[in-house]
Amino acid sequence: MKGRSILYLLVALVLLVGWSSCRNSPKKSSEFVFPEADSVPVGEAEKLSAEAIADISNNMSSPVEIANLLQVMSVPFSSDYLASSLDPNKQQTAFDKALTLGILGADLGYLNMYEKTGSSIDILSSIRKLAEGIRVGQFFDFETIKRLSLNRSNLDSLLFLSIDSYTQIDKYLRDNDRGQLSALMIIGVWIEAQYLATQVVKKYPDPMLKDRIGEQKIILNDLIMLASPYCSHDTEFNALCRSLQEIKDKYRDVRITYTLGDPVSVEINGALVIQQTEKSIVEMSDEQLEGIIEVTRSIRDKLVINN
Amino acid sequence: MKKYLTVLLLLLVAGFMAKGQTTDPLVSNCVMNAGTDAKYLKDFRVQLGKAAAAGEPRYKAQMSLWKNTKYRFSMCNSEDSNGKLILSIKDNSNKIVLSSFDQKTGKIYPYVDFVCNKSGIYQLHYDFTGGNQGSGVGVVSMVK
Repeated sequence: MKGRSILYLLVALVLLVGWSSCRNSPKKSSEFVFPEADSVPVGEAEKLSAEAIADISNNMSSPVEIANLLQVMSVPFSSDYLASSLDPNKQQTAFDKALTLGILGADLGYLNMYEKTGSSIDILSSIRKLAEGIRVGQFFDFETIKRLSLNRSNLDSLLFLSIDSYTQIDKYLRDNDRGQLSALMIIGVWIEAQYLATQVVKKYPDPMLKDRIGEQKIILNDLIMLASPYCSHDTEFNALCRSLQEIKDKYRDVRITYTLGDPVSVEINGALVIQQTEKSIVEMSDEQLEGIIEVTRSIRDKLVINN
Repeated sequence: MKKYLTVLLLLLVAGFMAKGQTTDPLVSNCVMNAGTDAKYLKDFRVQLGKAAAAGEPRYKAQMSLWKNTKYRFSMCNSEDSNGKLILSIKDNSNKIVLSSFDQKTGKIYPYVDFVCNKSGIYQLHYDFTGGNQGSGVGVVSMVK
C-alpha cells in the first residue's frame, strides 16, 4: 500500500514537472544534443557512404560565412589572425600539407571577403605549392586567381574560383581513395575559421558572433566522424583526433534550443523573400566561451607555430 | 608494341582528364548572374532524366545554414532542359521552409532569398518541373 502511494506520488511529480516545463517555455520545440555515444566507433565511421561523406563536407561552415558575419558586425580586417608563419616548404608529410592547405584556404577566404586580395598572393603561392605537393595542383587555377586578385576587379569570380578549386580538390581526393587528405583539409579549414571567430570575439563580443561560435556544436560531431576512420592510422592523426575531442568536451554543456514558427513569404519586385520565424537559441556561459577560445587557440597554434 | 601504344594512349587520356577539370560554363554563368550583392558559397549540379512517375524531388543534398545570414538560392537551366529546375528546402524536423515553386499559382521563382534564423543542417531537394528531363545548377550565395 505504501509502495503504491509512493508510485502515485512519483507519477504526479513527473506530470507536474512536465506540465510546468511546458508552461515555462511554450515555444521551445527541441534541443540539440550530441549523439548518445560520445565517440564515434571506428567501424561505424568506416561504413559511411560516399554520399554521407559528401554531405558532411557540405555541412561544414564556410570561413567565408564567418568573414561575412564579421563584416556585418563592422569588424575591421586584421592580418594578426592569419597563419602567416606557416611555411609550405616545411610541410614534409602529406598529413601536414593537407592540413595546412585547409588552414590557408580559410585565410584566403577571409582575405577575399575583405578584398585584401593584393595581400593574398603569398598565400596563393603557398597554396599552389601545397596542392602540388599532394598532387592536386591541377584543380587550383593559380594564374586566373592571381590575376583576379591583383586586378581586384571581380570579387564574385575570385570567390567562386577559390571555393570551387577547394571543392574540386576535396571531391578528387575522396573519389581517389585519399579520403584522409580530404578530411584533413576540411578539418584545417574549420579550425582556422574557428580560430578567427574565437579571436575576434575576445575584442568584439557581439552576441551574433558568440552564437555562431556556440552553434558550431551542431557540426562538431560530423567533423569528428569524418576524422575517426583515420584516428589510428598514425600518431599525427591520433593527436588531431584527440584535439577534436578536447574541443567537443568544451562544447558539452553549451545548450542549443529551438523555437517554433512558420516561415513568412513576401514577394518584393517579383522576387520571393522568405523570413524564417523559427529561431535557434544558444545558451553558453562566459566561462564556456572562454574554454572554447582557449582550446581552439592552443590547438591551432600547435598546428601553425614553428611550422 | 600495340600493348605499349594502348598504355600510352590511356595515360594520355588520363592526363588530359586530370588537367581538363575546367569550370562548367552553366555553373559560372549562374554564379555571375546571382546578383552584384551576392557572394558565392556553393553549387549543386543537377542532371536528371525523365522521372518514371511524379513524386518526391530526386536530387537531394545537405548543407548547413546559419542564423543571421541571408542566403540566395538561384536556379539555372541549360537550354536543352525540358523542365525548369525547382528547389524546396526542409529543416532537420522535415518541415518545408522554402520552395521556389508556388503550387497555388504555378509560379516558378528563378531565385529565392532566405533569411535564416535557425542554424542547422538543411536538406536541399531539387528536381525539374513535372519530373521532366533537365540539366541545371543550383547556386547558393550570401546577400547583405
